[in-house]
Amino acid sequence: MSAEPFPRPNVESSAPLRGELTNSDLDKSFTIGGQARPVLENINLTVRPGEFVSIVGASGCGKSTLLRLIVGLDSEYGGEIRLDGERIATTSLDRGIVFQDHRLFPWMTLEQNVELALLNTDTPKARRAAIVAEHIALVGLSGFEKAYPHQLSGGMAQRAAIARALVTEPKVLLLDEPLGALDALTRVHVQNELQRMWLAQRSTMVMVTHDVEEALYLGDRVIVMSPHPGRVRRIVEVGLPHPRDRRSPLLHRLKDEILAELTGNPAGEPANLVTFPARESR
Amino acid sequence: MNALLSRRAPRLALGLIAPALLLAGWQWLATSGGASAVALAPLGSVAAAFVELVGNGTIFGDIVATLTRAFTGFAIGAGLGVATGTATAVWPLLNRVIAPLLNALRQVPMIGWLPLIGLWFGTGEGSELIVVCLGAFFPAMLNTHAGIANVEQRYLDVGEVFRFTTGQRFRRILLPAAMPLILTGLTQALAFAWIGTLASELLMGAGGGLGVTLQTAQVQQRLDVILVTVAITAILGFAINQIIARVRREVLRWQPASI
Amino acid sequence: MASRPLPLPAPAAATAGRSPFAPLAAPLSLLAVWQLACMSGLFPPQVLVPPSEVARTLWLMAGSGELERHIGDSLYRLAFGFAIGALAGLAFGAAIALSRLAEAAFSPLFLTLWQVPVIAFIPTMVLFLGINEPFKIAIVAVAAFFPIALATFDAVRGVPRAWFEVARVYRTRLPDLVRRILIPATVPAVLTGLRIALTRAWIVLVAAELLAADSGIGQMMEMGRQLFQLDVVLAGVVVSGLIGFLLDRGAREIERRATKWRTA
Repeated sequence: MSAEPFPRPNVESSAPLRGELTNSDLDKSFTIGGQARPVLENINLTVRPGEFVSIVGASGCGKSTLLRLIVGLDSEYGGEIRLDGERIATTSLDRGIVFQDHRLFPWMTLEQNVELALLNTDTPKARRAAIVAEHIALVGLSGFEKAYPHQLSGGMAQRAAIARALVTEPKVLLLDEPLGALDALTRVHVQNELQRMWLAQRSTMVMVTHDVEEALYLGDRVIVMSPHPGRVRRIVEVGLPHPRDRRSPLLHRLKDEILAELTGNPAGEPANLVTFPARESR
Repeated sequence: MNALLSRRAPRLALGLIAPALLLAGWQWLATSGGASAVALAPLGSVAAAFVELVGNGTIFGDIVATLTRAFTGFAIGAGLGVATGTATAVWPLLNRVIAPLLNALRQVPMIGWLPLIGLWFGTGEGSELIVVCLGAFFPAMLNTHAGIANVEQRYLDVGEVFRFTTGQRFRRILLPAAMPLILTGLTQALAFAWIGTLASELLMGAGGGLGVTLQTAQVQQRLDVILVTVAITAILGFAINQIIARVRREVLRWQPASI
Repeated sequence: MASRPLPLPAPAAATAGRSPFAPLAAPLSLLAVWQLACMSGLFPPQVLVPPSEVARTLWLMAGSGELERHIGDSLYRLAFGFAIGALAGLAFGAAIALSRLAEAAFSPLFLTLWQVPVIAFIPTMVLFLGINEPFKIAIVAVAAFFPIALATFDAVRGVPRAWFEVARVYRTRLPDLVRRILIPATVPAVLTGLRIALTRAWIVLVAAELLAADSGIGQMMEMGRQLFQLDVVLAGVVVSGLIGFLLDRGAREIERRATKWRTA
């Protein structure tokens, strides 16, 4: 680790903030059994340059679909998605993504996997090795360059995937439940890492998650979505500076509020107790 | 008992009992002069045949001829198979056109083609090679096709995110992802090439080789020569398997060790 | 020679569409190409006879009872030999899987013999058994024995220990253990072994008939070759392919029905 607490690889400190993402009147539907089913309806959302936005919602609210649209893997949608004014129709090296499953190529070493992202950038070949090493260091995996993905733990693989996504220095980084498959302790650890990396790189980040606590801890704003079809239900401003303290009462209060909103239970009231129907009749 | 069995030496000794009994029974039958003695050669004559075949060098000529045939046929047949399987996996239209044809053709057992090939091309070395190629072709093609056509979309998504060109997509994703199945196909192809070589040599008898020697020895009622040749076939087959397993381990180093 | 029955790859026809006529597409398109090739005049009739001609030959042979005799003889040898080989293979595979003593005593010899392609046993067996029925039935039995023995061994050894532990937790009695755990757990792999053995036995039988026989599909082809009757050879190719295909399909169907619980 360098002396600087948050190394900022290749980012000019004077560079203007970039990566303003706008979704306007966004609609998306899938055709299932000959019928069009809306997945996303009337999404209007502007992500400011350098902002960290978390999206939470129940399964089926289309949050992953939204990310696939933004990254450009799916270009059939109604309305507009623009990055710095340019309409998104296909993938671009300006937009990176980290999937829930790390999707490192199992046939390549960690180093090769990260370097792969630079294949079609104009980064000079001579500089690539150094840039790759920097990003592997950024996610704290120095020493594992030659490891194959199956030799890494879940948390390490996910950090490697983050390094791969960051190495192209995208204007926007999309995170699709990146920590969903990790155990609770590893999760907290990688959350801290993610915050550190974001502070170091300051690119725009949009993270989809199931975990309200995680969404609040990392996000400048939290978008709460409702399902069938997916809509923006509420936008919560988290007015706390980064890096944050998990114990902050504000975070806890917001968490209760959002959970209540998502589950339909008034905050503070315990969920109904479940009874075993067979018990009495025995 | 179990404790004894878990030690190496007793296990080995136990494993030798069955072959030893087999050989003893054999020797007894061969020398006792019963009805089957006509066919049975005493063990001594099998050993003598081995010495003879090694001494005059014919066995080495046979080994070289058979291995050359098997590997040439494998290289041609499996090469075409991998190429065809790749092409049909990458171009669905081509697949639509030729998959039905190939599927119908592959129903005929490799050996079923022998008489037809004999009729078309004679019963020479060329025909033998064609049988070997045919045997190697189908497993290589089918597995390659399956491997490339079933590469997971999630990996292809990654390629799209990083703006891979068609060539990069093929070389960096499709090919390595399909490699385990392609190697399985090549392994099967080599096994089929090996069987096809022996079968075609046995049935066509052209150009020398272990199968040709087996056929001649059968006509001459030389059981000793047959047994020596079969034993060499077994050793070669074993060696080929070992080599394949090594190559596979080496190429697929990136895979987690299987249980 | 391969040390293990390799899993057959998924048929390439998976992409051929879902029409009810899809299974017919393969043979029909082959026939069409074949007929067109003949009509184009590129191949003289000594090299390629049209499918119509082959169909006529098959019809005539069927009418005279010749085809029935060949098919009947081949299938009889296959059934008889396969039954022997399968029973022996099941018994041997189960024995070396269940008894470590049997495994130590017999598996080295077994694995050594397994390295030899069954076809290479043909000359030895001809010397011992002559070229009549016993030889053909024996070679089919040998061809079936090895894959079935290996599949049975793998299947019995592959039953997860955890399942036996579950049985112990519920104090399952032995008959129930066999009926409800051991058999269901091993049947899928054993059936796969039986199917692979069946198609291999068929190939080896055709080869044996090519070499030495007075009847059967292989002999029919070999006679056709020696007499330069291309139509007879092609008829034999078609029939042997069809039988191989039907055997494989039939076995797969049985396998599918017997193992429904796996995907259900």
